[in-house]
Amino acid sequence: MAQWWEGVTKTFYKCFIKDNRYMLLVNGIQNTIRISLAAACLGVIIGFLLAVCSLSKNKFLNGIHRVYTDIIRGTPSVTQLMIIYFVVFATVNWPKWLIASIAFGINSGAYVSEIIRGGILSVDIGQTEAGRSLGLNGRQTMFEIVVPQALKNIFPSLGNEFITLIKETAIVGYIGLVDIQKAGDFIKSATYEAFMPLIGTAIIYFVLIKLLTFGLNKAENSLRKSDIR
Amino acid sequence: MIEVKGLQKHFGDLHVLNGIDEVIHDGEVVVVIGPSGSGKSTFLRCLTLLEEPTGGQVIIDGQQINAPGVDINKVRQNIGMVFQHFNLFPHLTVRKNITLAPVKLKKMTQTQADAKAMELLTKVGLADKADVYPAQISGGQKQRVAIARALAMEPKYMLFDEPTSALDPEMVGEVLDVMKRLAQSGMTMVVVTHEMGFAREVGDRILFIDEGVVMEQNKPESFFANPQNERTKSFLSKVL
Repeated sequence: MAQWWEGVTKTFYKCFIKDNRYMLLVNGIQNTIRISLAAACLGVIIGFLLAVCSLSKNKFLNGIHRVYTDIIRGTPSVTQLMIIYFVVFATVNWPKWLIASIAFGINSGAYVSEIIRGGILSVDIGQTEAGRSLGLNGRQTMFEIVVPQALKNIFPSLGNEFITLIKETAIVGYIGLVDIQKAGDFIKSATYEAFMPLIGTAIIYFVLIKLLTFGLNKAENSLRKSDIR
Repeated sequence: MIEVKGLQKHFGDLHVLNGIDEVIHDGEVVVVIGPSGSGKSTFLRCLTLLEEPTGGQVIIDGQQINAPGVDINKVRQNIGMVFQHFNLFPHLTVRKNITLAPVKLKKMTQTQADAKAMELLTKVGLADKADVYPAQISGGQKQRVAIARALAMEPKYMLFDEPTSALDPEMVGEVLDVMKRLAQSGMTMVVVTHEMGFAREVGDRILFIDEGVVMEQNKPESFFANPQNERTKSFLSKVL
């Protein structure tokens, strides 16, 4: 037992402490969070615009939504990321994390649009009628009455999408960015240890997402304030 | 004055309204009755263009509202609507439900609207409910708030679409009382309802709509005592 424990602490030291290897992970966490946050914001904006397109009466706008979601859903996100980095932004000298965020935002937007669309459709038509009957125009009714209620309905799914997004970013190593996953990978190559760096990577993702889930639940409860009877 | 000329509405092959001609004068309380599916709710909804007529004209104070280029939002500010299912905004407090439209439409400042809301809530007997959410009050209270919400825009006309049909029986009275007082204050009202007692007592005129046309209309006393049309007789024998 003592021997085993000694082995574990030794590997732990080798993988995470020696040569300040933990700094790799700290940078990786920063990158993962930065990319996920930026991508989530962009995803919600794109998703909302696409949802509006899909709900509009305009055939052309409907078409944009359909083609967009078709393409995003029909191709792997690694491929999308690489096309955006190596083709679309090939000649643009922006930081890698920003380009990665754009790629993931574009990807996430397609899924978010379905969530928002569903949320808006789930609000009773009587709400729109009540708003319009008071003389509010379509936009005012949408933003003052429908969207706040839809938000409450879509919040859990949106949180889910954000969690998925964080895990999806584990592929940014493909364009040479060091996130949590890539940092673990570097440690693995440098130390010839597989167990410790990979389990460490998994634990970091797990804790990150656990914290996020906790925050999301808190926020959801405060959104449900008006439901209390 | 609301004028309706040759009003038609079809949904696909289904003819809901088959040419309705009607004039509703200022200060008048018109009660619309008829079997379900007769088109009475559709008629009411056409008056504020929640339903777009497929033919005919709706003219309010001389302006045809179902014509191209009309600012319908402006027109609707003058026509309050009360729905069967209340349609209160569940994410807003009672007070905010009432003040949202007047403030957003720049009819009043928030302070003015708050004062107006309290005045209206006092009138409908719910001054103590200003800061609760709709989920916390009863159906009858919700409908009274919905009436206050419509009145906050200071409309010239009030439309009621079966305002008591979704209520528990013991709550019908409180809503009808509010409507009765509103009628007595001189408001022009069009009320679709199944409450024959209310129709008889408060209505200036009864419209009986069936199969998308006005089958018969009269003053309440004569309408109930002495129906002319066979359909009216058969309908009244079932509901009275």
